[in-house]
Amino acid sequence: MKKVGLILVGLLLVFSAAAVAQYYDGLQDPKIYDLGSDEYPGLEAGVNGGTFYISAISNPKKWNDVTAHETSTTQYTNVMFRSLVTIHPQTGALVPELCTGWDISADGLVVTFNLRKGIKWSDGEVFDAEDVLFTYNDLILNEDVETDSRDGLALPDGTFPVMTAIDSHTIRLEMSQIFRPVFNQFTFNIMPEHKLADTVHKLNPAVPAGNFNEVWGLDTDPADLAGLGPFVVESYAPDQNVTMVRNPYYYAYDQNGTQLPYVDKYIILTVESQDVSLLKFRNGEIDALGIRPSDVPILVPEAALNDFEVKIGSGVYGTLWVSFNEDFGLGEGDPVKDQLRGLFRDIRFRKAVSHAMDKQSIINNLYNGLAAPQWATVSVPSPFYGGRDVYGGPITESSAVNYEYDLTAAAGLLDEIGIVDLDGDGYRDFADGTTVEFLLETNAGNTLREGFCLILAADLDDIGLKVNFQPVDFNTLVTRLLGGTLYEACVLGLTGGNDPNGGANVQRTTGGLHFWHYSAADEPYEYERRIDELYDLGLLTFDNDEAFGYYQESQILYATDSLGMLFSVNQQFTYAIYNYVGNQEIADVTATPSGNNGLAWDLVFLEAGGR
Amino acid sequence: MITYIIRRTLYMLPLLLIVSLLSFAIIQLMPGDYLTRSRLNPDVTQETFDRLAERYGLTEPFIVRWWTWLVGIVTRGDFGLSFETKRPVYFTLFMGNRLWWTLLVSLTTLILTWVLAIPIGIYSATHQYKTSDHVLTFFGFLGLSIPNFFFALVILWILVAVVKIRRFGLGVSGLFDNQYVEAPWSLAKVGNLLWHLWPAWVVIGTSAMAGLIRLMRGSLLDTLALQYVQTARAKGLKERVVVYKHAVRNAINPLVSILGLQLPNLVAGSLIVARVMNLPTVERAFFTSLQAQDEFVIMGGLLFFSLFLLLGNLIADILLAWVDPRIRYT
Repeated sequence: MKKVGLILVGLLLVFSAAAVAQYYDGLQDPKIYDLGSDEYPGLEAGVNGGTFYISAISNPKKWNDVTAHETSTTQYTNVMFRSLVTIHPQTGALVPELCTGWDISADGLVVTFNLRKGIKWSDGEVFDAEDVLFTYNDLILNEDVETDSRDGLALPDGTFPVMTAIDSHTIRLEMSQIFRPVFNQFTFNIMPEHKLADTVHKLNPAVPAGNFNEVWGLDTDPADLAGLGPFVVESYAPDQNVTMVRNPYYYAYDQNGTQLPYVDKYIILTVESQDVSLLKFRNGEIDALGIRPSDVPILVPEAALNDFEVKIGSGVYGTLWVSFNEDFGLGEGDPVKDQLRGLFRDIRFRKAVSHAMDKQSIINNLYNGLAAPQWATVSVPSPFYGGRDVYGGPITESSAVNYEYDLTAAAGLLDEIGIVDLDGDGYRDFADGTTVEFLLETNAGNTLREGFCLILAADLDDIGLKVNFQPVDFNTLVTRLLGGTLYEACVLGLTGGNDPNGGANVQRTTGGLHFWHYSAADEPYEYERRIDELYDLGLLTFDNDEAFGYYQESQILYATDSLGMLFSVNQQFTYAIYNYVGNQEIADVTATPSGNNGLAWDLVFLEAGGR
Repeated sequence: MITYIIRRTLYMLPLLLIVSLLSFAIIQLMPGDYLTRSRLNPDVTQETFDRLAERYGLTEPFIVRWWTWLVGIVTRGDFGLSFETKRPVYFTLFMGNRLWWTLLVSLTTLILTWVLAIPIGIYSATHQYKTSDHVLTFFGFLGLSIPNFFFALVILWILVAVVKIRRFGLGVSGLFDNQYVEAPWSLAKVGNLLWHLWPAWVVIGTSAMAGLIRLMRGSLLDTLALQYVQTARAKGLKERVVVYKHAVRNAINPLVSILGLQLPNLVAGSLIVARVMNLPTVERAFFTSLQAQDEFVIMGGLLFFSLFLLLGNLIADILLAWVDPRIRYT
């Protein structure tokens, strides 16, 4: 009897211990998601288990997040690693991730991050300030390391924020001037010092310079990788699939104490052809798929029968535009080119083209209606998009500078410039009798861009402008675009993100991508000077509403005076997903400002459901 | 014969050298370089790109780069690093058993094609201008004239949208269905592999078969018209013996030289099908490197394919000498 009593007491102890220690051993500051609360509306707490399948268009290139350059790699590394600060999957706001929060000093020059305590790497090692210092000081700021994250951290005066550790769980960041996007820039992923310190030439002179760039290639045994993210790589078969499994030490839990992610496995099939991806989705082999506008009519009739849904998300990050080179033939002394450049430099010409661009026809014919007109330089989903009335408010076009489709107005502007049809051939001529014609280029093979060019060329033909459309190889086009004086007119796209400062390289007169008017670096127009100023001002405040004011002014100025890029439309993210996938409300593109524009939900919430 | 083989092998070295120089020069004719593709990334400054270009050696003249690359191969067996994966060229091209999958897919297709094409060719020749000859020729040409990528997609589409194979729990493209990917090898897994390979066999096979059928048919028709065949018939031999023992053995010579020339096709000849059907082949890795202008991987791939072409030629010549006693090399 005594024995039974002891066993009972023992069992009781075990159960109560289990009830208290619901987080893994040593984890003091777990990240708790209160799913379904106001903070995470539309979601609900779930159960662990199951496998989630999607497809990707190409193989990863490496497992090293710091030196990764494209989404084919970061779509994996972004779930293998975590950053100090992250973007809320639903609101787009910056929220603490590896830290519990941050303090900003009164003068705004010092930011202190408090790291979560007790977090472990996926191999069981403890995470602390050393890892953050290592990633920032020895990798990101190390010129020997090929990373895309460094340039965005440079303060306007050319210096970088200085990072030190106050103790093992407090990071201090000191800046020479206020730098609002600092939190956005600290979304780079933290790498394990204990695994990688020896591979960096700066810390270990025994390895050759540049060695870190070759670390964690595809031939690395997945067991040798360590991350802080929800998933770890289990296996990789080139051209076939990447299998990821849950990280036993992931520090995030739901309100019931269930460790995230909900799914046990996350398998990404490598499917090069989008047509085949579509077939695989219809065949039930993958659970969700980002689809093209042209796929919608194929999928919608099947949706109810096969229990999936076609969802129309919000706009995607990035822009699609046509640009006229205001420096075309500059310095060559060719009178023909000078004449054309003179026309391109006339704002009335660019306004006329804006009026002649039939955005509704582009939306209907190329995007099956799944797009919205874009009017400003910042990406539509960004809270800084100039078309909105208020910062963070719903997308409306009311405060944007709009150029409605109006061929009469367009023709009127061209008449005003003085280019009219002199010889009666239907095309407008310069005063000397030569026909106004120019070359419009885009990269061959991109059907949406080619379609945009064709519609635009037809519209311009209607107002008497002779457009010679020519699709060219992408690299040729980029070389011509960056060559400064070479291209005449071209259609291309740029990636974008939440923070307008990500586009500073394009907007600033000294920027490397100020391609429509490179000579502005020496001789800026008045409005370009002002845009430069506004981009400075936007950095120097932590008040987002104030910053929005500056960026809105710059976007309005760009639309009224510059029009270096004439924006077309913003595609809506469209995807198909089977109804058995739980918490799919999170599957919205607003969660992925990385410019991925594809399937990169915050996967931790998804439930595999019964396949 | 041995000296002939040795001599031919030695000839390959200067040939490969010239091939490499020419290929290197042609790669330079491609617009831009490896970095051009990413230069529109607004997050990275042009200074950073310029520094990378210098680090990758892209600013040096091509002859210097070619020489450095060649010296690396000769002195260290180093074919260079892939810009994209930062791994050696051979790893980037062949990782994950790509070479074996490539050989498996191509060899099985090759065997199937030949096993079908030769009897059909013989049948067509012996039934010249009969309805059955016309029907077989028609289907041969149908296979030849449908573009591979389209045919491959159509097969997959029929399986998914018309047959609705999800009812049977089957998948399309790739090597295995999801549940078999990680499973250990078993009979069921082999069966699943075969299920995934047959569309590739059909698509590649039909496109290659028409030519072989015509060749076999034409060659056999020529032979059957020769006088010794008439003699064989005159002395009362059975038609079966005349055709198979006397005519076919002589008519098959041109096909043997074709077989040797098909060796390079084993590693490079099914790119489009491999892309649609998601098969892990060497040439897909090569194609990816072409798209990315990943210079050294392109060079490695070109050298590898050239080597196969040269070897194929050599093997064809040796085979020819073996089947035809009239051919002798010194």
